[in-house]
Amino acid sequence: MKIPFIIFLLILSVTASAVADPRAHAREVDQIMATELKKLGQEARPQIDDYTFCRRLYLDAIGRIPTLDELDQFIADKRADKRARLIDNLLNSKGYNSHWYNYWADLLRVKYVGDKLQHPGNYAEWVKESVRTNKPYNKFAHELINANGKLYKPGNGATGFYAREPMALDHLANSVKTFLGMSIECAQCHDHPFDDWTQLDFYKLAAFTSKTYLRVDPLPADEKEKFAKDRKILKNKSFDEWIVYRESLRVKHASIYGNGTGYSRLPHDYEYNDGEPHEVMEADVLFGSMPVIHYKMPKDKVEKLNKKQFGPQINSRKSLANWMTSRENPMFTKATVNRLWYRIMGTELVGPIGGLDLESTGDHPALTEKLVEIMKVTDYDIKAFLTVLFNSQAYQSKALALKATPPAYVLDGPIVRRLPAEVIVDSILSLRTKDPDASVATKFRWDGFTHFYDKSRNMTVKNFVDYSIAGPGRAKFQRREEKEAKERNRDLGPKSLWRASAYTHNDGQYLASILMGQSTRDLIDSANTQPDIPQILYLMNGHLEGHVIRNPKAYLNQKIRHEKNRAKRMEMIWKAVLGRLPKPSERALFKHKQADIMWALLNSNEFKFVR
Amino acid sequence: MNRREFIYSVGMSGMSIPFLNAAPSAALAPGSKAKSVINIFLSGGLSQYDSFNVEVDKDVLGKSAILKSNVDGIRVSNYFPTLAKQMDKLLVINSMTTNQGAHPAGIYKMLTSYNPRSSVTHPELGAWINKALTREQDSLPNFVSIGKGRAGTAGFLSGQWAALPVRKPNAGIDFANRHKAVSAETLDQRLDILASLNKDFDKDHGTKDTQSYQDSYKGSLKFMNSKDIDAFELKKESEKIVKLYDGQEFSRSCLLAGRLVERGVRYVKVNLGGWDYHDALYDKFPQNASRLDKGLASLLEHLSQKGLLDSTLVVVSTEFGRKPLVNPNKGRDHHPDGFTCLMAGAGVKAGEIYGSTSKDGKKAENNILDVTDFNATIAWRLGIDPNLEEKSPTGRPFKLANRGKARKTLFS
Repeated sequence: MKIPFIIFLLILSVTASAVADPRAHAREVDQIMATELKKLGQEARPQIDDYTFCRRLYLDAIGRIPTLDELDQFIADKRADKRARLIDNLLNSKGYNSHWYNYWADLLRVKYVGDKLQHPGNYAEWVKESVRTNKPYNKFAHELINANGKLYKPGNGATGFYAREPMALDHLANSVKTFLGMSIECAQCHDHPFDDWTQLDFYKLAAFTSKTYLRVDPLPADEKEKFAKDRKILKNKSFDEWIVYRESLRVKHASIYGNGTGYSRLPHDYEYNDGEPHEVMEADVLFGSMPVIHYKMPKDKVEKLNKKQFGPQINSRKSLANWMTSRENPMFTKATVNRLWYRIMGTELVGPIGGLDLESTGDHPALTEKLVEIMKVTDYDIKAFLTVLFNSQAYQSKALALKATPPAYVLDGPIVRRLPAEVIVDSILSLRTKDPDASVATKFRWDGFTHFYDKSRNMTVKNFVDYSIAGPGRAKFQRREEKEAKERNRDLGPKSLWRASAYTHNDGQYLASILMGQSTRDLIDSANTQPDIPQILYLMNGHLEGHVIRNPKAYLNQKIRHEKNRAKRMEMIWKAVLGRLPKPSERALFKHKQADIMWALLNSNEFKFVR
Repeated sequence: MNRREFIYSVGMSGMSIPFLNAAPSAALAPGSKAKSVINIFLSGGLSQYDSFNVEVDKDVLGKSAILKSNVDGIRVSNYFPTLAKQMDKLLVINSMTTNQGAHPAGIYKMLTSYNPRSSVTHPELGAWINKALTREQDSLPNFVSIGKGRAGTAGFLSGQWAALPVRKPNAGIDFANRHKAVSAETLDQRLDILASLNKDFDKDHGTKDTQSYQDSYKGSLKFMNSKDIDAFELKKESEKIVKLYDGQEFSRSCLLAGRLVERGVRYVKVNLGGWDYHDALYDKFPQNASRLDKGLASLLEHLSQKGLLDSTLVVVSTEFGRKPLVNPNKGRDHHPDGFTCLMAGAGVKAGEIYGSTSKDGKKAENNILDVTDFNATIAWRLGIDPNLEEKSPTGRPFKLANRGKARKTLFS
């Protein structure tokens, strides 16, 4: 079975390497849309000018407005293909890594939870690394679903995906929503009220990941043999020493164990007729073709085991990852394309990003089909896919202000919508410094626990005891290691000039981002773009005054300082904040004080929305 | 997808802050005796055996000594000398239980009545109350969270029902005043420029979201200029009341809570953390206990003097208690089975003890009160059915107090 599959992959990769220029794909997309518009008798939207394009692309590709210099440079460029060039440049810039980290961190709920060391330091770094290397999305997803081993091992941060939600069934429902865009969590406890999924389906799917778990302490045998004695002595001696001993051992040992037994058991309160409580279920997929699983123990033997036993580990989780991320999976590629389309265009190509059905094709099935095909042909290369979207006429046409009565076809370009939280704060940053991306890391950054893990590789049992005696208290343990870790990393410069993505769990939270609606990362895709009073109070009365408007060191103020001509100065302010020249009608506003104009531009809807 | 922690928001249109989706004015349900709730939340886990549950074997009390109170038959630990004189105002509940033994999950459970899950965030009790009781004419938010710590999520409810956070009681609401460099006239001019820019942008780009932003600016200005916003300014309080309190931050928080319920705010959470004493409890506990002792005593006096104690239910809650055994590090570890909470006001059976633990302190024994029942009781006393149901975005129904039932016998 394995060999034909490899051949199949080879054929695919050969196809993929023969991929056409992404711009050719963009033309295909344009063609499909033109046909649809013609059929509907709807006029094509006008194309946007260079100013609008430049601002929009900076926002969508790298998550901030262009600085005055960057805008001027693009406008001055006379080359015919300057838009395509800018697309390539931005997608390969540091800003891209920052912007798209924020996005995936929201989806993957990268967050420090506290207590049981559910600590995403390495998880965040793994996501950042994946964005930096433009890891193919199917590989990205596969590594997350199939992650196991040590939590703090550098490079093994994908385990954070499980550590973040160690409750197996919740995790499964989340994985399906994350990668297949479907909401099956209801079936966890009862047959799904409106979809086809039954509780039985859910438990069959759960069989793939059964007995996957997070354990932070050493394994029982290891514990008994090596650590139990000292643990007891320390506990009776000093709480502070004991807890350092416990935590330091946890950093070394915390792991995702288990890779699936291929069997699950129905819950004790199972109440449908198609199964009995505790009945053993073999793994099965929700739809599509069932991957082959090589069981080590037949079902009837598992049934005879204790009710808590699910049989031996056989890495059925890998089979699940194969099925979920397969090109043949009818949901995986569709959900991915839908997600990226929504991010760039603001409309639903197929449906709600976490609420798709097997049958969903969206309002324009031919377009969905084409984009799915492009995703496959580019081998799940996110940057290549974005290159296609950004080069399309649709992307480069006027944004639609979606009203109560929209036109028949709305997929022919982006819609006007509020910027993501981090994009707003990073745009403000772009007015304050010449190089807003200076803080974006270019390589792995150590955090305290990962650093300690690294150190602990050569530590003996006695070393751990000595270590706990040397430095008392959990907080001090962490602080000490964070301090050492910091020395291994490049200094990111003053925190006040960081992009939002540079904040780790050690840095506290950036108030402005939170106020703008940054995801709390408790739930999948939980960022929001709604206004509320604390947010508006911040924008009206908060830090803008001191950070930008009245700050002589702010880059914008540095730039305009030498311009004697008031009208020209005003033009620079308009370009810097809104990314365009002032309209003739706006020239009447030039009479106002410079600070007041800056305040108004920064508080304007135009600044907060992509158009 | 758009849930919001910490923050209440203004809705889409119509603007009367922040209560757009509020039901029209309606009488409270019959039987409701409380108009407001002040929940003093002790995150970290209050040691019941060093505070209000001293009716256990002597060795369970560790180093704590016993004080008589002003009520026969009620005794407290020596760390609460001020409250000892006010126990006639308090009901001590010694039979609390929860199913959570770790802090984040325990706090979540106590405040929302649900176990934490990764598929949904549940609203805190304050958010349920905010939504259920807010009326159009209210000019202040009905869920305010004072102090550090978890502010108060609206969970799957609309973000507008989340708590308005006041991190520091003396500082009031963040950014609610004009920037110090900006005069009233300047702000007016700025707003004129802004209006003109937005009007122009709207012609070609106006959506319900851009409209919602314009409404929110109006709402925020209204909030800044509201006469009730001075409820958040402690310096406006009369000297007579201020004098009841000492200057500690927690006491100031209690003072603010008292001011807010006087203005009709329905649910105020006051956070006082730091109770997680796994070691050196008797070195660290006294200082925090003193904060609670003084702040709560002053608050009860404040509410009594203002005649608000009859209509305000004051509760002191915590996510779990501490073990009866003092560990070798002279601390106490987590103990979810048999801990202590307090209630005062709103007709609660003050001057009594409800429930008990076994004498060895290991478990709650009589009249066990689960944290969900505790929350159900609070809701019921406000006239809200604890079975009140709301649906999450996926259509799943949730009840206010989960499966909790109001323990009506706590009230006379």
